[in-house]
Amino acid sequence: MKKLLILLVAGISLSQLAVAQDDLLGELEKEDSAIVKENITAATFKSTRVINMHSVEMTGLHNMQFMIIHHFGALWDNNENFGGNMGRLFGMNSGIANTYMSFDYTPAKWLNLGLAFAGNGALEGTAKFKLMRQQTGQKNYPVSIAWVSTMNYNTSKKVTAPNDFEPNKFTFMNQLLIARKISEKFSLQLNPSWVHYNVVPYGYNHSNEVFSIGAGGRFKITNKEAITFEYSRQLNMYKDITDKTGEVITYAPDLISLGFDWDTGGHVFQFFFSNSYHASNIYQLSANTKKDNFGQWCMGFNLNRSYSMKKTVAVH
Amino acid sequence: MKKLTFLLAVVLLFCVSGFAQQYKTREGNIYFNPNKNQQSKEYAALSKEATAILKVETSEVALLVPMKSFHFNNALLEEHFNENYLHTNKFPNGTFKGKLIGFSKSMLEKDGEYKFSSEGTVELHGVTKPFKAPVVLTVKNKVATFYCSFKIKAEDFNIEIPDLVKPKLAAETPLEATIPFKLN
Repeated sequence: MKKLLILLVAGISLSQLAVAQDDLLGELEKEDSAIVKENITAATFKSTRVINMHSVEMTGLHNMQFMIIHHFGALWDNNENFGGNMGRLFGMNSGIANTYMSFDYTPAKWLNLGLAFAGNGALEGTAKFKLMRQQTGQKNYPVSIAWVSTMNYNTSKKVTAPNDFEPNKFTFMNQLLIARKISEKFSLQLNPSWVHYNVVPYGYNHSNEVFSIGAGGRFKITNKEAITFEYSRQLNMYKDITDKTGEVITYAPDLISLGFDWDTGGHVFQFFFSNSYHASNIYQLSANTKKDNFGQWCMGFNLNRSYSMKKTVAVH
Repeated sequence: MKKLTFLLAVVLLFCVSGFAQQYKTREGNIYFNPNKNQQSKEYAALSKEATAILKVETSEVALLVPMKSFHFNNALLEEHFNENYLHTNKFPNGTFKGKLIGFSKSMLEKDGEYKFSSEGTVELHGVTKPFKAPVVLTVKNKVATFYCSFKIKAEDFNIEIPDLVKPKLAAETPLEATIPFKLN
């Protein structure tokens, strides 16, 4: 009986030791899975632009991004012969190039500030606010929400002629961006927008406010490549608008773009076809001229490169 | 006599649990710099959230690091690390378990610097590989800090580096783990 008891105790103690040995890592893993983590959805879009429109993505914290958005001329000029059109290289060599160059910086996780040359003598300042991040885990939010405010200042005196009144040179745009990464491969974004012109030519029913609603998205083909699309519909101020010379124009209320994203590792190269030649969102959403066929669309691309401004990783 | 045996049994059991003295930490640091030019810290990353356990009597050690806790200076690089290289949604943790060869409990009792080695297995990106590296233990002010410097090959763990990026990276990525345990 005594021997049995000693054997039993020895057996229990040895088995305790054995169990404890294998479970060191198991203990860490159990503790790790017990913590409810924040699963913040990353990379809804690979760039801070879907194609022309801003996406909910922001440049990284303490990172500065340099971006160029380029719109070339019409793909095909119907007034040119075949040789002339080949020489125009589908708009790239047509002499028309609307360029948007911007620098933006993210001083806080929720704020991005940018300064841009918007083409045709205009300067733009942008502020992007991240209002909600799509996440699961600790909190469950189904979408990411951001707000973009843009102020456009046209330096040309021709805009305000004949009285050169400074406030006439300003135009503003505000957009609400709501996006959801629906799956690893597919993301969708809605963007209602409001453009405010400080001054508009006199005309019956003319308004300083132009509203539009749009949507954009991307389909990932591989880790590096994706197909993108954008559609925006202007809701007012496009039919029979009198411009400064007294001429009556009807703008095209539909803004459509189709694109291809290529992530090269250091930057994202976004290539697209669009029915607007304008470089700035403001004119894309309020002064888009009518295109009769696909030949009148243009080609364009976005290039961006980001640099970190603050060393968050300590130097060893 | 039976009572004595019983008492002995209980004491023995207590002694066994007492022997299983463990130290735990949640503040392990793991740093790596994959750049071919080691002078540049452009691609370096640091995690300050590695957890580790040390079982003194058997010299056994285990370590777990959440892969999403590695932070880079460049936000785009961090995004690529998570989405394209380490697939951290699929493989959330990197782990190590093994033994410290040449370690003894007495080292923890006296301030100083001790050198020995660690041997075990590393699991990263879903691949398990054997591991062996020298360790330096510094005991000072009631803190035992284990420092281990080692290298790993990305291919060994099925981590795909695109051809455009390969020339910029070292053939083997050097890592440094600094794990402090508070000695009570």
